[in-house]
Amino acid sequence: STGDSWGIFTFLCAALCNLPALPALNCSEELGAGQSIQQTYDLTRYLEHQLRTLAGTYLNYLGPPFNEPDFNPPRLARVERVPSATVDLDLWRGLTDNARLAANYRAYSRLLCYLRVLDGQVGTAELRHRLAHFCASLQGLVLSIGGVMSSLGYPLPTGPAGPPAPPGAPVAPNDFLKKMDDFWLLKELQTWLWRSAKDFNRLKKKVPPAVVTLRLEARGF
Amino acid sequence: IPLSVSPAADPAVISPQDPTLLIGSSLVATCTVSPDFPLKAEDLYWTLNGRRLPAASYATLGPSTLSVALARLNGSRQQSGDNLVCHSRDGGILAGSCLYVGLPPEKPVNITCWSKNMKDLTCKWAPGTEGETFLHTNYTLKYKRRWYGQDNTCQEYHTAGTYSCHIPKDLALFTPYEIWVEASNRLGVAVSDVVMLDILDVVTTDPPSDVHVSRVGDLEDQLSVRWSSPPALKDFLFQAKYQIQYRVEDSSEWKVVDDVGNQTSCRLAGLRPGTVYFVQVRCNPFSIYGSKKAGIWSDWSNPTAASTPRSERVAGGCDPKGGEQNTTLRRELKQFFGWVKKHAYGCSNLGIKLYDQWRVWLQKSHKTRNQV
Repeated sequence: STGDSWGIFTFLCAALCNLPALPALNCSEELGAGQSIQQTYDLTRYLEHQLRTLAGTYLNYLGPPFNEPDFNPPRLARVERVPSATVDLDLWRGLTDNARLAANYRAYSRLLCYLRVLDGQVGTAELRHRLAHFCASLQGLVLSIGGVMSSLGYPLPTGPAGPPAPPGAPVAPNDFLKKMDDFWLLKELQTWLWRSAKDFNRLKKKVPPAVVTLRLEARGF
Repeated sequence: IPLSVSPAADPAVISPQDPTLLIGSSLVATCTVSPDFPLKAEDLYWTLNGRRLPAASYATLGPSTLSVALARLNGSRQQSGDNLVCHSRDGGILAGSCLYVGLPPEKPVNITCWSKNMKDLTCKWAPGTEGETFLHTNYTLKYKRRWYGQDNTCQEYHTAGTYSCHIPKDLALFTPYEIWVEASNRLGVAVSDVVMLDILDVVTTDPPSDVHVSRVGDLEDQLSVRWSSPPALKDFLFQAKYQIQYRVEDSSEWKVVDDVGNQTSCRLAGLRPGTVYFVQVRCNPFSIYGSKKAGIWSDWSNPTAASTPRSERVAGGCDPKGGEQNTTLRRELKQFFGWVKKHAYGCSNLGIKLYDQWRVWLQKSHKTRNQV
């Protein structure tokens, strides 16, 4: 099915590019974006799968009650360091492609930073290995999203990629609170990956065929 | 804009916060609810690693302070610490404290080191006892040249297993090194005995390359093995000695050929016809710079396979069976001759040797007969 629509699009693109009356459509950019979006979508699904194993191992390392299925501790009112994936549904629907992509890009850049800090502190060799592997994949996702943005002509979000450190306030004042932070980091990662799949699904439907149809109508075909 | 809230907004405070304890010790912990929260001591309860602690171990120390007594603590369930949590009546988490219960580390033991082509040094060791301290234990490998003050710390860990470290450069030859391992955790430090060695005493090299195994003409019971000496040996004044091991394809028992010397070829004999053999070769650099000491055996080369030819002649049906009979018969004969020697002084020429000679003669005439 994706193959068929791909073939149709390529044909249309080639046909349009050959008509002398039309300004040359820069087909390669849209082609690139479409493929990148699919890749990014696939990456989020893969990461989601990887996270399940990583989270299982990590929560076992934290010990009960963190690894209990119904564990739901309060998010204590401390510095909100991890960007939240949950957003109002209408707000989410109304996001422009640029805003949608930028939100994903910013979120994963931040999450990657926090995960890397975790990597430095964690005890067992097995966990460090899994974390390193996950961070590498997550880095791939960030780059992939950046690639999609560039191919669609959007600028990459600027600003601090690292965790903001308010002066004087420690990241986590004790070991138990740090465990809670780690728990919420993993939860937020999970939520973001679920959300990203929906984000990229939406983008997939919007980018290549829709662009071409609009242009055909404008020319009175 | 991030929300910055002062620590006083935490619902409760536990004391002690994240303590470290020896196995078997006891602990009294207190949970004090923050004045901003409308909770009393009777609204609280404790859990340890998700399990509710019995109310009999609680004590009310104040209107909003509840304590719990823990006796004879076992080693921590996980290295990240046991989770001691103070809850409100509805199960909500008010505060938590991580308990680190364990033992101080034991002296690391069995330090062994080797140097690949005199370029580096890798050492491995074992934790003392079974290594179960219940706490995260850090190992640091240190080394220094004897008589030259400065301690150095190894940086690259886990290169040859969990308890190993790799020193990649800046190693001097012809000088003794002192090497030791320090183990440390929250409860203390333990230092291994010092091992003294010269890099030249623990040299190993790469396995031989280009191992070829081929048939020797039509000979059914032989294979010829050839290899190249590892290239690194050329740079240093090593001699090399080699060892070969081989096995039949579907067996896990290796036969070792030990007296290969420093040749780069060898012939294996006494093999089974029509059989696939796996062969490996390894190298030991010795007589480094003239010393007579042996180095450390390299890894085995990747297995190379070859098969011995099988002749066209049909194997005689009697032969395998005959072989079995022969061993029992031979044994009995040996016993008989032994008895004869003891009791019949005249027949000293009779013996098992004579019997063997007769058997050889029998086989030869059997072969010539079949080849016709």
